[in-house]
Amino acid sequence: MNVTLAVKQYVTRMIEDSGPGMKVLLMDKDTTSIVSMVYTQSEILQKEVYLLERIDSQNRDNMKHLKAICYLRPTKENVESLIQELRRPKYSVYFIYFSNVISKSEIKALAEADEQEVVAEIQEFYGDFIAVNPHLFSLNLQGVARGRSWDPTMLARSTQGLTSVLLALKKCPVIRYQLSSDMAKRLAESVKLIITKEYELFDFRKTEVPPLLLILDRSDDAITPLLNQWTYQAMVHELLGLNNNRIDLSRVPGISKDLREVVLSADNDDFYANNLYLNFGEIGTNIKNLMEDFQKKKPKGQQRLESISDMKAFVDSYPQFKKMSGAVSKHVTVVGELSRLVAERQLMEVSEVEQELACQNDHSSAQQKVRRLLRLPGVCELDAVRLVMLYALRYERHSNSALPAMMEELAKRGVSEKYRKMVHSVVEYGGKRVRGSDLVTATDAVAITKQFLKGLKGVENVYTQHQPLLQDTLDQLVKGKLRDAQFPYLGASSLRDRPQDVLVFVVGGATYEEALCVYNLNRSVPGVRIVLGGTTVHSTKSTQHQEVLVLPTVLTTVLTTVHSTKRY
Amino acid sequence: MASSYPPPFEGTGEVKEGFICPLCHKDLQSFYQLQDHYEEEHSGDDRHVRGQLKSLVQKAKKAKDKLLKRDGDDRADTGSYESFYYGGVDPYMWEPQELGATRNHQDYFKKHRAARIDHYVIEVNKLLIRLEKLTSFDRTNSDVAKIRAIEKSVVPWVSDSDVPFCPDCGNKFNIRNRRHHCRLCGSIMCRKCMDFVPLPLAYKLTSGTRESLCIPGSPGQSQAPPSGAGASGMGSRRGSLSSLSSVTSMLEEKDDEKIRCCHHCMDTLLKRQQKLEERDHMPDIVKLYERLRMCMDKVDEKAPEYIKVAESLNAGETTYNLDSAGGLRLEVQKYYELIDALSKRILTLGMKDDPAPTPKSLHLQKMIRYTATLFVQEKLLGLMSLPTKDKYEALKEKRKQEQEKKLQQERLAAQESMRKRQESEKNRSVATTNGEVPPAPKPPRMTKAGGWLPSADSKKTHSELKDPLLQQIDNIQSFLRQAREAQRTDEVAMLEENLRQLQDEYDQQQTSLAIALSQKLAQEENLQQGEIQRLEARERSEWEQRAPAADSRQPSSIWECSLDLGEPVAGYVEEDKIGEVTPKFERSPLSLRAFPALAGQEESPPRLRSLGGHVTPPSSEGPNSSSLNPFEEDSTPTEEDPSNPFFEDIQEEHKEVSNGKKEYNPFDDEEDNGGQEEPAATSLGNPFEEESSETSNPFTEASGDSPGVSTNPFEGDEDAGALADIDMIEEELLLQQIDNIRAYIFDAKINGRLDEVELLSANLRELQHTLQEQKKTH
Repeated sequence: MNVTLAVKQYVTRMIEDSGPGMKVLLMDKDTTSIVSMVYTQSEILQKEVYLLERIDSQNRDNMKHLKAICYLRPTKENVESLIQELRRPKYSVYFIYFSNVISKSEIKALAEADEQEVVAEIQEFYGDFIAVNPHLFSLNLQGVARGRSWDPTMLARSTQGLTSVLLALKKCPVIRYQLSSDMAKRLAESVKLIITKEYELFDFRKTEVPPLLLILDRSDDAITPLLNQWTYQAMVHELLGLNNNRIDLSRVPGISKDLREVVLSADNDDFYANNLYLNFGEIGTNIKNLMEDFQKKKPKGQQRLESISDMKAFVDSYPQFKKMSGAVSKHVTVVGELSRLVAERQLMEVSEVEQELACQNDHSSAQQKVRRLLRLPGVCELDAVRLVMLYALRYERHSNSALPAMMEELAKRGVSEKYRKMVHSVVEYGGKRVRGSDLVTATDAVAITKQFLKGLKGVENVYTQHQPLLQDTLDQLVKGKLRDAQFPYLGASSLRDRPQDVLVFVVGGATYEEALCVYNLNRSVPGVRIVLGGTTVHSTKSTQHQEVLVLPTVLTTVLTTVHSTKRY
Repeated sequence: MASSYPPPFEGTGEVKEGFICPLCHKDLQSFYQLQDHYEEEHSGDDRHVRGQLKSLVQKAKKAKDKLLKRDGDDRADTGSYESFYYGGVDPYMWEPQELGATRNHQDYFKKHRAARIDHYVIEVNKLLIRLEKLTSFDRTNSDVAKIRAIEKSVVPWVSDSDVPFCPDCGNKFNIRNRRHHCRLCGSIMCRKCMDFVPLPLAYKLTSGTRESLCIPGSPGQSQAPPSGAGASGMGSRRGSLSSLSSVTSMLEEKDDEKIRCCHHCMDTLLKRQQKLEERDHMPDIVKLYERLRMCMDKVDEKAPEYIKVAESLNAGETTYNLDSAGGLRLEVQKYYELIDALSKRILTLGMKDDPAPTPKSLHLQKMIRYTATLFVQEKLLGLMSLPTKDKYEALKEKRKQEQEKKLQQERLAAQESMRKRQESEKNRSVATTNGEVPPAPKPPRMTKAGGWLPSADSKKTHSELKDPLLQQIDNIQSFLRQAREAQRTDEVAMLEENLRQLQDEYDQQQTSLAIALSQKLAQEENLQQGEIQRLEARERSEWEQRAPAADSRQPSSIWECSLDLGEPVAGYVEEDKIGEVTPKFERSPLSLRAFPALAGQEESPPRLRSLGGHVTPPSSEGPNSSSLNPFEEDSTPTEEDPSNPFFEDIQEEHKEVSNGKKEYNPFDDEEDNGGQEEPAATSLGNPFEEESSETSNPFTEASGDSPGVSTNPFEGDEDAGALADIDMIEEELLLQQIDNIRAYIFDAKINGRLDEVELLSANLRELQHTLQEQKKTH
């Protein structure tokens, strides 16, 4: 059930199949990101892959002494490029792997182009998704919807991605979907169709309890992606932008040259791996420990190495020292930058109000706080808009709504028309009318008591009170209590026992908060393995251009949705 | 030297059999102990499957950590960010899964490709056969009509009337745009769409197929190559001519040096040519790269081996030899240098060539170099240093002590638990007596060392006192026996090799010792001779004076005595093989003469003492042994005792001494050996050294008036040797450190960490300074 490992094993196998010798890896745009999430450059170099090339790049030279490993999505363009490549081969031998099912006719076309007999291998390796964490994958698809229904190409792509996950994990699941969402149902049907069509591929060893695929819709919980996150991974993604495991730190004031761009990968960075899911405060402590630890080991400049044994100790510990110093400087920089941003954008205060909006039921205090924050100059445009969105979603039908006043405040702040309009778009996207389950106010007696008890106990951490809706859904699911009426099975088969292997897919994108919640569920519930996926993982986008307002992807989703609603 | 003895049984690397706790892998001595342990420690444990699974998962994680980090830095506070488990499993620790689903299209692909390829191959071969026919006659000397006839015979030409337009460009043929036939396929096209196969190319292409395609009945087949060479030479000469003529006569041209063909045929031929070229061509980078990979493979093979050895040595084990480890280290380092050099050459490959290498190949070279540096960096830094000689000895000693302690503890614990159990059971009265009896199976019997066990006949006391080299030789010989019995020829060969090396070393040691010893003896003898002459002179005069007073019985007893003394000495010398025969002969007369003197001078104690001083050296040829031999020590006072008036007593004592010596000869011999080895291989913390200095021969001290023997010659030697050795080791260590630091500087430079480079070079300077100082003082 480890998606990272699944992709990594595919790539490793490809490289190993090609035998010894210098290699070039030919990829397309998508597979480049797929591979780069599981392999670092130095790792892949160790496997004799010295060049990474794009199949569509024109300036590749003839290098007959290289073996080519092609890892491509089976798109028309890729097949065409490959045919051209085979007609005039630039490398000595080709090992071709498609990331998904390819048609017979395309294989034939390729075979006929291979007049020089350079193709040694042609296979399907189903790594057609981006493995973010062992339990989290993304398809990196933006704007999957046209109004309330699928963009056909996106549906096809999502189906491909989802089936490839199933194939990579060797699961032939029973499917459940969210009834209130038409998109979820369409995707479920589409996946089912593929499973039926490619029944030979999905013929895996039967397990006692069949795996489960649960398809949800983002619009059911539009609040979660609007909240500021406080776990290390989520913060790095939200505030700094993690692109293929790399963070661009070039905008950090006074950054040194070798820290302009740092790699953060849980695979070979212990500190990151251990702190992925810890919140900001805990990371602070750990960073301090790391520093102290380092200080202890660090031979001070003035501290003379008096004796030979001193020197020997120093020299012996040097490799570790060096490695550590790299890790320390990296994480100190990253955390430093994060805390700078937090202070600059007054995220603590913003987050507190966000959490109150999301979790508590005190309208007057909430609206006062929101309006106070809207007047603060430090709060950035995006956070202001998000606060108003949250308010709008939360108190959508409140009799005494302060929304118009807030919109005015936004206008006063100089927030552009476009963003102000998005407040309404969000309500349209994830408002009460759309939601299948009730997001904020509990309806049944059990839930009410639960909320009441929670209120009595008080909250441990004001910044992390919010629990995503997914938590509740999955809780019920693993207990076997998820209601069939809300999440029906597709087809006749249904699960009588508690599920063991669960794949959750969120149409419209998952969030890091949900990833954290799935992570914790995995750790706390014995015998259950849950993998979360989404058409995307919501995080800040295009941090490269400073002048552009940082726009969470959920807003892009909303934007495309709403625009297309208007168009159609 | 005793410290360097391998412990009687080796602890690590061996697989212990018997009572190991399944949960914590603690080694327990007996069944009872294990049971106790289990009840005490693990009774609270969750014995549920989940618990087991958890520990398995943790182990898996540890393994994973190891894999990922390679040189795992065990930070003390890793625990603070270590995640703990609530019952579920962290997704990072999900058990490994098999490779995901795959589907192979190979067969389908090959089927379709084969159809295509067959067609293609036939086409190419057809063209080649025709080309060969077209080039197999002497074109230059034939007239146009004849050439045309031959050409037409090779392939039927499409008739002009059938093709009104050029099939390629669609232009209409007329008087200006004439039709041209492809000589290879017979098709028609216009001038613009025409191509030419130059004759050299044609020969090249056909030469490859001539052997493989062996067309029967092809007339020009055999004479083609020579004519080809000639034709190509002529062709180039005529090229200018024909180009001239083609300018003058646009309409009528004679293509005797090239063959007309269409684009399609040309394409096919060119592809064919490219393939031929690539087949033979192997770029330099590939050659270098292959060598580079070979070195890397070697390192991959050797480095773990070295690390294993170094770890074992650093732990103070005696499984491996320090010197051979040093050799291995050197070898690995040499490979690193080679890798560095090779990758550098790859990096600069083609830099000076005129058409500079393409950016992509430059990138490739850069990446290879980068990988090589990464490789060196990672592996070289992981190479731990070896302990220095004296440190190694210290380590060994420490380890030995630890093992003994552990063993003792285990034994105690075993006894304790045994007693406890028996008390709790309250079974029989026998139990109380049994309680004192340690569990029967002794650790040596339980060991299952990787190789052969030293045979049991080598006794503990024996081995402890022996020279380590000899012991090693003994061990190896017993291994050899065992290996031979087991008929493992490869191991036998290896062991024999080892044995030979050891023996060589031992022989060398012995000869150098012998040389040193003989020199010393020669010195002594010189001194003695001088003394003897002096004494003789005096004796003679005294003898002459006192001759009448001498008892008739006395001479015989003196003779006896001298014989008693002389015998062991002789035995000594022979056994030691140190020896020249001369000292023995020299000595016996000495004792012969000395004792008469001694006997005759009862009333002159000072003389006696001085004489005694002269007598002893022969008796203790290995001076150390005299100090260690308790009997000799006993005897010395009596000999020394000037006030002892009873000559008989002395004689008796002497007899005792000689008897004792005879009895303990083997023992003595060994001690002697041990003593002799010392200067050659010094070790700190050598108990012998202490002993010898503590119990330094009181006798020799007493006989201070004769310089030749007054101090134990070995003692002085030892000290000096030890000092020199320490210096040497220090130097060695320094050199090693310098090497290491250089490697780190190299590494730091590559990474552009200037501050570290500075720090390191400061260290380096300091080290070099120290080294020089040390050399000066040396």
